Amino acid sequence: MNLLDIKNLSIELTSHGENILAVDRVSLALKDGEIRGLVGESGSGKSILAQAIIGVLDDKWHVTADRFHWQGVDLLRLPLEERKQIITKDVAMIFQEPMSCLDPTNSIGEQIEEALDGSKFSGYFWQKAQQRKEAAAKLLHKVGIKQHDTCAKSYPHQLTNALCQRVMIAIALAKQPKLLIADEPTASMEATNQAQIFKLLESLNKLKNMSILLISHELEKISHWTDYLTVMYSGQFVEAGTTEQIFNTPFHPYTKALIASTPRASTNLIKKSLLHTLPGSIPSLQHLPIGCRLGPRCPNAQKKCVIAPQVESFQGHQVSCHFSHRKEY
Amino acid sequence: MLNFTIRRLNLLFFTLLMLSIVSFSLSYFFPGDALVNLSGEINADQQRTEQLVELYNMDKSVFHQYTAYIGQIFSGNFGISMSSQVPISDELHTFLPATIELCLAALFIALIFGVPLGFIAAIFHNKPLDKIILTFAMVGYSIPVFWFALILILLFSITLSWFPSSGQLNLLFEIEQVTGFKFIDILLSDSEYQAQALKDAFMHIVLPAIAVATAPMTIFIRLARTSMLDVLESNYIKAAKAKGLSQAHIIYHHGIRNSLVGIVRLIGLHFANLVTVAMIAEVIFNWQGAGSWLIESIFARDYTAIQGGLIALASFTFFINILADFLYAALNPLERHKKHGA
Repeated sequence: MNLLDIKNLSIELTSHGENILAVDRVSLALKDGEIRGLVGESGSGKSILAQAIIGVLDDKWHVTADRFHWQGVDLLRLPLEERKQIITKDVAMIFQEPMSCLDPTNSIGEQIEEALDGSKFSGYFWQKAQQRKEAAAKLLHKVGIKQHDTCAKSYPHQLTNALCQRVMIAIALAKQPKLLIADEPTASMEATNQAQIFKLLESLNKLKNMSILLISHELEKISHWTDYLTVMYSGQFVEAGTTEQIFNTPFHPYTKALIASTPRASTNLIKKSLLHTLPGSIPSLQHLPIGCRLGPRCPNAQKKCVIAPQVESFQGHQVSCHFSHRKEY
Repeated sequence: MLNFTIRRLNLLFFTLLMLSIVSFSLSYFFPGDALVNLSGEINADQQRTEQLVELYNMDKSVFHQYTAYIGQIFSGNFGISMSSQVPISDELHTFLPATIELCLAALFIALIFGVPLGFIAAIFHNKPLDKIILTFAMVGYSIPVFWFALILILLFSITLSWFPSSGQLNLLFEIEQVTGFKFIDILLSDSEYQAQALKDAFMHIVLPAIAVATAPMTIFIRLARTSMLDVLESNYIKAAKAKGLSQAHIIYHHGIRNSLVGIVRLIGLHFANLVTVAMIAEVIFNWQGAGSWLIESIFARDYTAIQGGLIALASFTFFINILADFLYAALNPLERHKKHGA
């Protein structure tokens, strides 16, 4: 059974009387204990999709889906409050720019403690307060912060970006979630810190069997940690499969170009030669092409591409393209 | 924190320095003799004039005159009133506390109602309640205080007779003036009608305080609304929602404190406005305060009184400003702690 099963989720933005389809019928399925990467350029709707899953989008955005199952429970049939309860109980999220995601006027300790489940503590209120403190310290230890007292007392602006992200992970772990959504957790961080954060996430996945949805625009960087990958382009589903499938046999022209655009030490590039890229850039939300949104940039594009392709599945390798590279392998 | 305190006190010192220079220069800019303007003694004889020249260093350079003036102010000598020949310090002692009382009551009302209303408007952003509060704020801001005060008197004291229309306390109560603050004086007095007097003083302050508070309150409504809207859009509110906290918890623990940080500093700024409004309201409500006293002095061309009133009211405003800054630092850890790391 899938942990999370989403089919044809669309997110519409209403602004100035216009409706813009920011995310167009994206499907996503996650199994227990897997690490799935969600890859796409900036502006491809990855973060919006993640925020829609956890339900923190504001009223401007309208989310619709054909199927939204969490552990077999159809969330679409449940009232909003109940849905929120189920999701926030089992799903946690860490954001990019961790510093801005921590309340600047509350100490780290307070912010971790408020995420803890109150029903787990017993006794009088001072005993509960003590238990809360200990639980917060334990969480800080789990994410590799040894000086829990100093850290709990400090305010977000006193910590570095990487430390703030560790605190965010600690907060996410407070509810012992089954799924952790990590939205570019290492954006604007140094390489060593990035590796540490990824290692921490991987160990949590292995030790606690926690599924992770890892969102990034750097395919190469996250592919080392993920079991499965889903690729998005401009709010549309492109391709999904195991990391090996995506890397070794990319079906979709976009994925192929994405992989080819990553320079490798092994490939011999001639001096001053151009790197492989797709022409053009990702379209803005006001000027979306009809049909397959990659159309104007796609090397394989033909007349048929003005109609959005259906998702086809080949042994778990899903692709959404009329003229895929499947037969070439 | 020490650094912050020193910076604030430094600011206080230099503003007061500037203020005293302005006040001192007024005695030269006002028409008439500088010495008479400074001392207020219009009928001084030859001998007294010589004494005053000695006192104010009028025969020496302007700098010496200024230091002498500062010395006199610090020893509590603001000169005497040109019109009544009573020492200005005595008049200030009589009238200033009444103004402070009125201003603080008005500030209290403005904050107690303005800030929560602004927060409510922000929480119900773009809903009917938000629109109603905004309309109320717009109307309240546009109404001039002199008209509003008259309407209040007409409605609540003449038609409904709920509140008295003028004065600070019924003359029936014999309360000895000690501090000048009516409420404190009543509490200090051993009158057997203490409770009644307290109630009477309260009834007297309600209408003027409301009249003064309305305009600043509407400003606080809008400040609080914008500040709360900014906070509610921020990433940490999103993260708090993702934690699964309830809306009430988010507003109470994260929203209010962060938006207060944005407002508190501006309270001091708008307090100057409130003092000006209070001066007009004092005249209408026959409130025996420094405002109405100062306006009378301006009509009487009582230059000494104008100087003294300027220093007293401006210092009071500065003091509230600095106080607001300290409140700001208490709320905002970014000001209190050094920044570590990146």
